[in-house]
Amino acid sequence: MTMREIAIRTRAVVGVAVAQLRRSPGRTAMTVLAVALAVLSVTVLASLGVGVVEKGERGLDRADRDIWISSDPVDPAASGTENPIVGAHAKSTAITARDDIQSASPIAMYDVYVGPNESALERRPAVGVQETHDGFDFREGRGFQVDAETAATPPPEEPEMNEIVLDPRVADGLNVSVGDTIHVGASRRTALTHEFTVVGISDYYSQYLGSPTVTVPLGDLQAVAGTSGTDRATFITADVTDDADRAVVASELREEYPEYDVRTRDEQVSSMIEERTIVLASGATLVGLAVVGGVVLTANLFALVARQQREQLAALRAIGLSRPLLAGTIGSQGLAIGLLGGLVGLAATPAVVFALNGFAASVLGFERLLRTTPAVYLGGFALALVVGTAVAIVAGWRAGRYARIEHLEI
Amino acid sequence: MFNHTVRGSRSPVRDRAGERESTTAVRLDGVTHEYGASGGRLRSSDERTVTALRDVSIEVPMGTTVGLEGPSGSGKSTVLHAVAGLLVPTAGRVELRGTDIAALSDAERTRVRRHHIGIVFQRFHLLPSLSARANVALPLVQSGLPRSDRRERATNLLHDVGLGDRSTHRPGELSGGERQRVAIARALATDPDVIVADEPTGELDTATGTAVLELLTDIGRDRAVVVASHDEATLDVADRVITLCDGRVDDVR
Repeated sequence: MTMREIAIRTRAVVGVAVAQLRRSPGRTAMTVLAVALAVLSVTVLASLGVGVVEKGERGLDRADRDIWISSDPVDPAASGTENPIVGAHAKSTAITARDDIQSASPIAMYDVYVGPNESALERRPAVGVQETHDGFDFREGRGFQVDAETAATPPPEEPEMNEIVLDPRVADGLNVSVGDTIHVGASRRTALTHEFTVVGISDYYSQYLGSPTVTVPLGDLQAVAGTSGTDRATFITADVTDDADRAVVASELREEYPEYDVRTRDEQVSSMIEERTIVLASGATLVGLAVVGGVVLTANLFALVARQQREQLAALRAIGLSRPLLAGTIGSQGLAIGLLGGLVGLAATPAVVFALNGFAASVLGFERLLRTTPAVYLGGFALALVVGTAVAIVAGWRAGRYARIEHLEI
Repeated sequence: MFNHTVRGSRSPVRDRAGERESTTAVRLDGVTHEYGASGGRLRSSDERTVTALRDVSIEVPMGTTVGLEGPSGSGKSTVLHAVAGLLVPTAGRVELRGTDIAALSDAERTRVRRHHIGIVFQRFHLLPSLSARANVALPLVQSGLPRSDRRERATNLLHDVGLGDRSTHRPGELSGGERQRVAIARALATDPDVIVADEPTGELDTATGTAVLELLTDIGRDRAVVVASHDEATLDVADRVITLCDGRVDDVR
């Protein structure tokens, strides 16, 4: 067969395919819509899967400190009911004093009641830190910084700075803004005895913990929680100096503090991944389900398209058209439908993801839970185009095989 | 009329266009065919079978129209399928111009149909999405003929069947008789040796059916035509009528 003959046949095949599609515009539109929905289900489910995986990994990304000291692998999403490190300020100061340590700071986590008055108190996770930083990306107001001297001394019995950073949703829920005063306490009763000024609005730790969170100076949080005496913290993190070996420093700290787990960043990340296996597996499963579901849906659809034309294909086979030609006719329809459906599905994806993200943020508290990466778009389009065309060709080929007596009344 | 040359063939059947008048076009020799009880192909040795044809031998010379009659289930359609190479009989030979097409592969039988056999279906089986001209030109797509040549030949054939002014109409815009004439033109597209027709007037009124029969008679002058029908008027155009009963040849007149 010459190239010219191939071109002639290809053109004829495409012509027949286009004519078949144009013959029933309603049915064609429905088929395109079905492919678009298949693509949409893939992109949305895959976006959710990618988002879940990223959420699971985000804590790891932000765990960018060299050394982690705790009693167990730290789960940042655990909302701080465990604060196993005693004498956190002293230990932090001692660790910072080492030549191979650049800085060290404790972090505590407690659940506290916050609200402008007794009837509007809400229980929220609180994180106690020595300072806020650029990563907070304040929507309003500013952060706070405990001065070096205070940071090096044991925590006070009563809150001293009385400043608090609220998650935007907490601020909205309490109907307060920067400059307002709210109560903070470990119980409803004690909350009324402590007043804090809202200095900033940021969801930094909310993203980290997965629920709306407030941030206060470490000493103040310990005072509110009643752990000033024991100076409890969830963990201490430290950065080594540029010329220090992280593993060596961790090993030395391990010997120095045998009662705690001392981990390098890599070890901590591994531990966190182990604890988040279910989350990561769920995300991966969603992506897998999206792909398998999309393939099955698309395959069924094009098998149906071929089946609808089975009698016509049988007649064409009977008058002498070859199976490759018939497969090409159905395959061309698959290509066209896949192309159109894929584009429609991709075009609809951002809007649907936006809507679902809004829903997830308002109901679950997770901002941007669905993440549509370029790979997700590419996967959705490839599904429509490649799988659609391949399945259509196979369906056409099979339909050609069944061009038999039972489909013709001759 | 109806003799428009089509470019070369790579059919397994020898092309002996110059010998049309003197040769046997189709010969069925001791053909027996069994179906599975479900009506489909025979699938396994222990499946209950239905014998559709029993030792049927038929010869159809060039320039002859042979009619097949018989009650439903007598084997008429199975004979047509065998002649058209749409089925491989369980036993016996189906010769087309001396070549046993039952011994050919599926792809080879498809090529035989493309080049040597034209089929006229009772229900036309035209593609509703294509114009009459495009439908007639369809069998030529496989031959690799340029579009202009295909269109020219299709236009000429439509003119020959009296539809020169309807070539751009789609099947849905044509009457039943016109659709059947388009189907006949399509069957003639590759200038085949044999025309197979099953109840070609079954869906038509009397007047339209008569016109279609005249057309079949006309095209049968230099071809072999095998037509199955219950209709006496249709069988009247045949040079020979074979009566089938229970899969056997019961009578020849």
